[in-house]
Amino acid sequence: MSCHALKVNDLSVWFETDSGRRQVVDHISFSINAGESTGLVGESGCGKTMTALAILGLLPTSGVGVSAASIEINGKDISSLNAAQRRAVLGRDIAMIFQQPGTALDPVFTIGHQISAVYRRHFGGSKKHLWQIMLDSLEAVGFSRAEKIASAYPHQLSGGMRQLAMIAMATVCNPVVIIADESTTALDNSTKSLILKQLERLQLQHKTAILLISHDLAMVRQSCRNVLVMYCGRLLERTDCQSLYSHAQHPYSAGLLSCIPQVSANRPPRISAIPGQVPSATDLPSGCHFAPRCIRVKPQCQQSVPHFDSEDDRAVACFRPLS
Amino acid sequence: MMGGAWRRLKSDRYGMTGLFIVIVFSMVAVCVWSGLLGQGWSDVSGNRWESVSTTHWFGTNLLGQDILQRTLFGTATAFEVGLLVTFCSTLLGTVMGALAGWYSHGWLDEVILWLKGVLDSIPFYLFAAAVAFALQGIPWAMHLAMIITFWTTTARIIRGEVMRIKQREFIEAARAIGLPSIKIIFRHVLPNTFHVLLVQASIVFVAAINTEVILSFLGLGIQDGVSWGLMLAESSQEVLAGHFGNFVAAGTSLFVLLMGFNLLADALQDALDSRRATA
Amino acid sequence: MSVPYITSRLLYGIPLMLGVTFISFLLMVHFGPDKTYELIGKNPTEEQINEVRQSLGYDQPFLLRYGNYVKELLTLDLGLSDSSGEPVSSILIKTLPISLALVLPGFVLGNLLGMALGLLAAWYRGKWLDKLVMSASVVGMSVSFLVIIISLQILLCTPYGLNLFPVRGWQVHGLGSYFYYVTVPTLALVLVTLGYNTRFYRAIMADEIERDHIRTLRAYGAGPAELLFKHVLKNSLIPVLTRIMFSVPFVVVSGSLLLESYFGIPGIGLVTFNAITSGDQPILKAVVGLTGVLFVLALTINDMLYSVVDPRVSKS
Repeated sequence: MSCHALKVNDLSVWFETDSGRRQVVDHISFSINAGESTGLVGESGCGKTMTALAILGLLPTSGVGVSAASIEINGKDISSLNAAQRRAVLGRDIAMIFQQPGTALDPVFTIGHQISAVYRRHFGGSKKHLWQIMLDSLEAVGFSRAEKIASAYPHQLSGGMRQLAMIAMATVCNPVVIIADESTTALDNSTKSLILKQLERLQLQHKTAILLISHDLAMVRQSCRNVLVMYCGRLLERTDCQSLYSHAQHPYSAGLLSCIPQVSANRPPRISAIPGQVPSATDLPSGCHFAPRCIRVKPQCQQSVPHFDSEDDRAVACFRPLS
Repeated sequence: MMGGAWRRLKSDRYGMTGLFIVIVFSMVAVCVWSGLLGQGWSDVSGNRWESVSTTHWFGTNLLGQDILQRTLFGTATAFEVGLLVTFCSTLLGTVMGALAGWYSHGWLDEVILWLKGVLDSIPFYLFAAAVAFALQGIPWAMHLAMIITFWTTTARIIRGEVMRIKQREFIEAARAIGLPSIKIIFRHVLPNTFHVLLVQASIVFVAAINTEVILSFLGLGIQDGVSWGLMLAESSQEVLAGHFGNFVAAGTSLFVLLMGFNLLADALQDALDSRRATA
Repeated sequence: MSVPYITSRLLYGIPLMLGVTFISFLLMVHFGPDKTYELIGKNPTEEQINEVRQSLGYDQPFLLRYGNYVKELLTLDLGLSDSSGEPVSSILIKTLPISLALVLPGFVLGNLLGMALGLLAAWYRGKWLDKLVMSASVVGMSVSFLVIIISLQILLCTPYGLNLFPVRGWQVHGLGSYFYYVTVPTLALVLVTLGYNTRFYRAIMADEIERDHIRTLRAYGAGPAELLFKHVLKNSLIPVLTRIMFSVPFVVVSGSLLLESYFGIPGIGLVTFNAITSGDQPILKAVVGLTGVLFVLALTINDMLYSVVDPRVSKS
């Protein structure tokens, strides 16, 4: 293993508002290996989607600030690329699957057109060749009548089919990394497992690295090897899934786990829910952002920020971790 | 909500400029109505086409009438047309829109929508010409034509607003305790559309003044008195002979007032946009 | 696009057409000026009056007269002009091409320029370029059509300015003379519509640029040209088409009315203007009725075009 498929180094995102800076992603670092999938979990509004959009460079340029020491794909830094160079990477080396399959595809072009346009953009080729590549990618995600899907418009397909088509679009260039942002949230359970199975296949067959963004811990456990826990723009815990479920170290992770009914049965009864509310990004508490809601809080927690070692396989940002 | 809107409006430089312009012009109009300004608009006070002087700031016209006096009086005419048309068409549009929205998808709604569709299908200036033609000799033909055509946009907007407000909880509550529809519409629904009406009214005002100019040029405008439109119509021949007094005076006044209203309308829209207020 | 869909759209247009023709009938014929006394001499007898009224059709019942009016419009048998005695339909056929030649260049240019500026402003939303374009469009919206025409005339057609173009008239024999006469009216039309068009197109395009599928395209490496000219434009075709359809009667009829009466160009606008001033009822009722009917037709076609442009609209 020479280098990571995706390595994010010291990424920050903030909004410029009238009342000052609003930090939404606060100096986070993590990496994913080829053929591995990592879950990024946290409550909504904690900065998960912002992280994904910042990695791809899709945030608007006015009113939003982004800084990163480096964002590497297979060892190549994409954070310093200019707009045209970045476009050459997007879709080819890194692809994203969005949350809303209903609106993420252009309603006035056929599925086939939109998928082959991605391949043509990066590799070109004859019309016939493009069409075949596109059909292959549709068949690979499990469509038996790919021709029919290709000539359909998005509104003619169900949400699950659209999301599968989206996966076909993400994989048509065989990228190194795929980011799936709440990609199954809008779908029913059986479709959900179909989508997850496809992501698993990519990971095994093509050694694609997958960053699975979700608030659904149960789903992350089912399909990811590692997990990152995010809260108010910071990473609080990084570990493999098994250890997180058997013994979470950060009180917030433990609190999140206790919110899943079937998991909470195995948890110690002392943590049953997370008291209080997520603070707004305009007035974040100093020190550890979770301190005001933490049942294990100490004076130190409210003064300084606990260190998070991103190089380590297992890391936790807490002064009093659960052991 | 209105307090916040006023605060936002106050911090909008362009909006305040617009408001200032509108206030200055309306003060001129009030002075004309109360007999303090522009009373000499029809007096022949000089020779024809006198150039700019201390007695005639903008010179005189073909008949030797003072252009400044006529411009000032024209301000009052513009406000007369603007206010009358805006008030009547807004009232009509509000009532029609409220009825259509409250009874949406019922027969009354269908009839009002049909009427709106019909009126929107006849190009406006042509319609004004038709009304003027039908009502030959009646001085209010132009105003009537504008009112009949301008209410449809207001009605469409109010219809949408009412349909939206109808879904809200406090309206459901009012219906549940058995208040009559008319009472709910006028006491509880329409006050909530005030901010939309204000913006729409300022847009109608601009349209009315703009239209008066065109119709006056076509000979379908106001029948007595003087307006900027009539002055511009006069000037269209004069400028070829090098007399720019009417054109400069009326053209500039018209531009500044319309600009003021446009700036104000934009600023009002921004300040009253509740979505922006919460963001 | 299915046959039932077309039929339903056509059926929907019928009440509108009836309404439009009914209103123009009311204004032009029913409430219109009584011509009896213009046609008879001094001290007429009761008999003479009745005779004239009968020849004008005034004695017929209301609905029958309305029916006749609709029949006139449908068969294009529109009677004779009061002032020239020429058949109205041949006057219209003669003057329509002139009006179109006069108005279309300005209409097309105004929309294309507005689209370009709107796209530019939407792409640089919130930046100085956007603010500049938007401020300029407010200034443009605040200048009256008449002021624009007179200003252009001073600047381009008189010795006080460049004196390059004719003050008025329309002696078109070829391309050169066409440009000579059409330039100033075209500029006026572009200037008066540009502010409104730019604002409209910016609003539409700004909405489209914010849509989710545009973000998807950017995430898959699409450049600005592909985003704007392929996806944003195609998605905004429906509001754009509607806008164009709705503004055709405004620009063609109202624009030609003012431009032709100002520049003395013998198109439909001037004919209408002269009919207004001379009270030529046959011409006016034909113009008003036909424009209304054509507008409703355009709306119906517009609805049908939707289903061609947007795959979601058909068959619903």
